[in-house]
Amino acid sequence: MLRTEKLSKRIDAFSLKDISIEVGKGDYYVLLGRSGAGKTQLLELICGLMNPDRGRIYLEGEDITYKRVQDRGIGMVFQDLSLFPHYSVKDNIMYPLRVRKMDLKERVDRVQRAAAGMNITDLLLRRPDTLSGGEKQRVALARTLVTDPKILLLDEPMASVDASLKDSIRRLLRRLNRSGQTIIHVTHDFGEAISLASRVGVIHNGKIIQEGTPLDVFNHPVNRFVARYAGIKNFFRVTFITSYKSASAISEKRTRFRLTRGEYPSSGLLIIGSSEVLLSRQGASGFGINNIRGVIDDIVPSPTGFEITVNAGDYFYADITHREMEESRFVTGEKVYVSFRPESLRIVGNGEDTKEY
Amino acid sequence: MKGHTLFNWIFTILASLVLLFIIAPLAGMFFDSSFSEVRTTAADPAVRRSVWFTLTIAFASTLFFAVGAVPLAWIMARKKFPLKRVVQGVIDLPVVLPHTAAGIALLGFISREGVLGGAAQKAGIMLVNNGAGIALAMAFVSLPFLINAARDGFAAVPERTEKAALTLGASQTRIFFTVSLPQAWRSVVSGFIMMFARGMSEFGAVVIIAYHPMIAPVLIYDRFNTYGISAARPASIIFILVALLFFVLFRVLATERRVLFRREDDASD
Repeated sequence: MLRTEKLSKRIDAFSLKDISIEVGKGDYYVLLGRSGAGKTQLLELICGLMNPDRGRIYLEGEDITYKRVQDRGIGMVFQDLSLFPHYSVKDNIMYPLRVRKMDLKERVDRVQRAAAGMNITDLLLRRPDTLSGGEKQRVALARTLVTDPKILLLDEPMASVDASLKDSIRRLLRRLNRSGQTIIHVTHDFGEAISLASRVGVIHNGKIIQEGTPLDVFNHPVNRFVARYAGIKNFFRVTFITSYKSASAISEKRTRFRLTRGEYPSSGLLIIGSSEVLLSRQGASGFGINNIRGVIDDIVPSPTGFEITVNAGDYFYADITHREMEESRFVTGEKVYVSFRPESLRIVGNGEDTKEY
Repeated sequence: MKGHTLFNWIFTILASLVLLFIIAPLAGMFFDSSFSEVRTTAADPAVRRSVWFTLTIAFASTLFFAVGAVPLAWIMARKKFPLKRVVQGVIDLPVVLPHTAAGIALLGFISREGVLGGAAQKAGIMLVNNGAGIALAMAFVSLPFLINAARDGFAAVPERTEKAALTLGASQTRIFFTVSLPQAWRSVVSGFIMMFARGMSEFGAVVIIAYHPMIAPVLIYDRFNTYGISAARPASIIFILVALLFFVLFRVLATERRVLFRREDDASD
């Protein structure tokens, strides 16, 4: 659907280099990178706010590299949302329809539909400066979506949203994508990436350094940057099983995790920080603690000590200090227990009850 | 204000002295004139004509030049180009020139021998000793006020809102009128009022271009030269009052005008 071919652009001291990405129809493509990595610039090239120095952009087979922004059929929601402060919410959403010289009835219909879709019907007469971050986000989305964009570009859409509302925006975006909207979403937050993306591109210093499904990228990082960017290596796609007495999760490789009691979706991703994984020969004791048996697969030095990989069906990664290593003297091939508290488990993509994480 | 330090006292006294310096002569002028003098002068057809003429010409001049000055302000706020600082210097030039010198320069330009004057004459318009010439003189010295205020206004408009409008399909022209100008409106109007006020009070440049028809500042000068301070004072008072009235009126209208950019259904504030 969208393809960029060796897109390059120099902006002052910074440059985007040979960016080639391919986004299929209906994809949710997350572009992941730190601030200053060139994510926003890439979006501006794609939607036509900037022209590249080299390279081409194709949309549905058509070369749109130098096509006018207005004619590309690409919608963009900016990080600061850029609502028009002098218009009401309704007039903000109606703006692109007025541009298209649609008749009044059609305009009003579309605004009503977009507002209903974003659940902001009661905000239509308000002014943007009276809205919360989450509400502004919905208005900005509605304003872009009334144009029926072929691709929706989102620049850090969670940036201006309270932590408590991120879930609902995430749910909204996922629903939008499931309804067929192709999305390119820029973020610095890997949690956002793995909970939403069907494909992830990691951008660093103006270059795409890895591309693939979220699990590919995080399970098999191409280099230390991507690995460290992810910050964690232990994450597992699981199915949750809850009963009156207990809660647990089972991974695709049949590893069973004991969880604290509570409400869980039917499936999701479990994350454990490498520093919270303990290794021992006898297993750890404690209420509800997880002890999983495995074999040490690899031991590599890390900045703080060693990183030990344990094969227990699923791979677990544990960070241990030099001192712990001196005391325990683990060797590869040795049988050990991987232990962690249920409290140290995190669930990502807990937005809704679905298997489509 | 808590803590009356020596610093605060000194600054308050210095500030008061400056304010007093502005207020005292004006207040003195009002106290030194009798109401009947002012009333008689106000009834004088020459004075009335002159005040009205000044206001009309200053307004027309501001309106006419705003058509080019506002786009120039937008360019100065948004575009990068070589020699931009030089262009900014040119814009500010009329502020630092002696106004009589500005008048002389302009006279050379709009007299029959000048480029503009010659062309205008072929079209049957005399610029010197004419309202059109006066309007040009007013604009020449007061344009920087509009351009600079509008430029600051446009610069304060988040560029992202303009970019967002582009991605929503709007043309550059539409964006200027529906996104940039409404957000910069307050500054543009403020600049418009400043230019109007500066233009109607101009004497130096105007008097070189046209002694007649007489604008109010020239009339005041003429009364002073011919009859002395007591004759010039009531004319001054009338002009100041009328100017103030229009100044306030425009401010009020400008605030009202902003409402037109909001939609009628917008009742939230």
